[in-house]
Amino acid sequence: MPHVAVTAVGVDRPGIVAAVTGVLLDHGGNLEDTAMTRLGGHFAMVLVVEVPGAEDAAGLEQALAAGTADLGLTVTVRPIGEVAEVAETGSPWAVTVHGADQPGIVHRVATTLAGHGANIVDLSTRRLTTGAGTGYVVLLEVLLPTGVDEGAVEADLDRLAADLGVEVHLRADEADVL
Amino acid sequence: MIRPVRFFPDPVLAGRCTAVGEIDDAALALGRDLLDTMRGSSHSVGVAAPQIGVARRAFCVDVSGHPKARSCHGEVVLFDPVVVERAGAHVGREGCMSVPDLTGDVLRAATIVVRGLGLDGEERTIEADAFEARAVQHELDHLDGLLFLDRVVAADRLYRRRVYR
Repeated sequence: MPHVAVTAVGVDRPGIVAAVTGVLLDHGGNLEDTAMTRLGGHFAMVLVVEVPGAEDAAGLEQALAAGTADLGLTVTVRPIGEVAEVAETGSPWAVTVHGADQPGIVHRVATTLAGHGANIVDLSTRRLTTGAGTGYVVLLEVLLPTGVDEGAVEADLDRLAADLGVEVHLRADEADVL
Repeated sequence: MIRPVRFFPDPVLAGRCTAVGEIDDAALALGRDLLDTMRGSSHSVGVAAPQIGVARRAFCVDVSGHPKARSCHGEVVLFDPVVVERAGAHVGREGCMSVPDLTGDVLRAATIVVRGLGLDGEERTIEADAFEARAVQHELDHLDGLLFLDRVVAADRLYRRRVYR
């Protein structure tokens, strides 16, 4: 069965997940991988949903908009192609960045990582204001290609950290299989 | 004998296992199968009976050579294990042979004392810390139908398993 990508964003309040998933269920959808979280007072949902072949994305988007009208969500539904499951190669690393907020932190960290062929597989950020000012925290999970020199990646990140005046740390992120 | 590993969501992984009781030939065969299955899987540092389809209270562990291990009792088989003591807390990332695609951050006691019957039918007590303590707790959970998925510390601490070279 085909898949669609559903996004929904709106001011956070109880009932958003129930309403959106209710419409999807009514249309024969089956949720696959999803991420849903609160971002700065908004609730954001990104969902990969398997839908019956007869469902078209535009129709489903209209149904979602109508079915969640009282929640004031911005909703999109787009068809997405099938992606073959490929065995990922590389080794998992965690990168943490924190320091005074300023434009460009994420972009510059991501650019540095991309320069080494690192693939970002998860990224979340938080901006927080304290008595000492406004800070920014970035958490990334990346796959470093096999054979990449971690020391070189770390050296580049250290240079970037000094330039931005933030802390950047890279650490191996292997899980233990029990 | 190496037995096929059962995968989530097989119901045998979700039920509470029953006591082994007497260490008879069937129990010894189970113990040997646990060891064979663990040895036969390069990443494995432990196997619990339900993971090979047997809903009995038995597991094996072996953390020999693991970089995070401190205490190490080598190959251990325990029947009808009970926790005598646990202390401390430590979060670590775990995966499981029965849940091939996911890993998660799980809070475990830092040290654990567990008592059970060994392959010789004699009672033995294992005092474990660090990685061996984590492995023992992970296997103990299997006997109660719990997977690491039940203990992931937060919604955003469950991960797609990355690569295994």
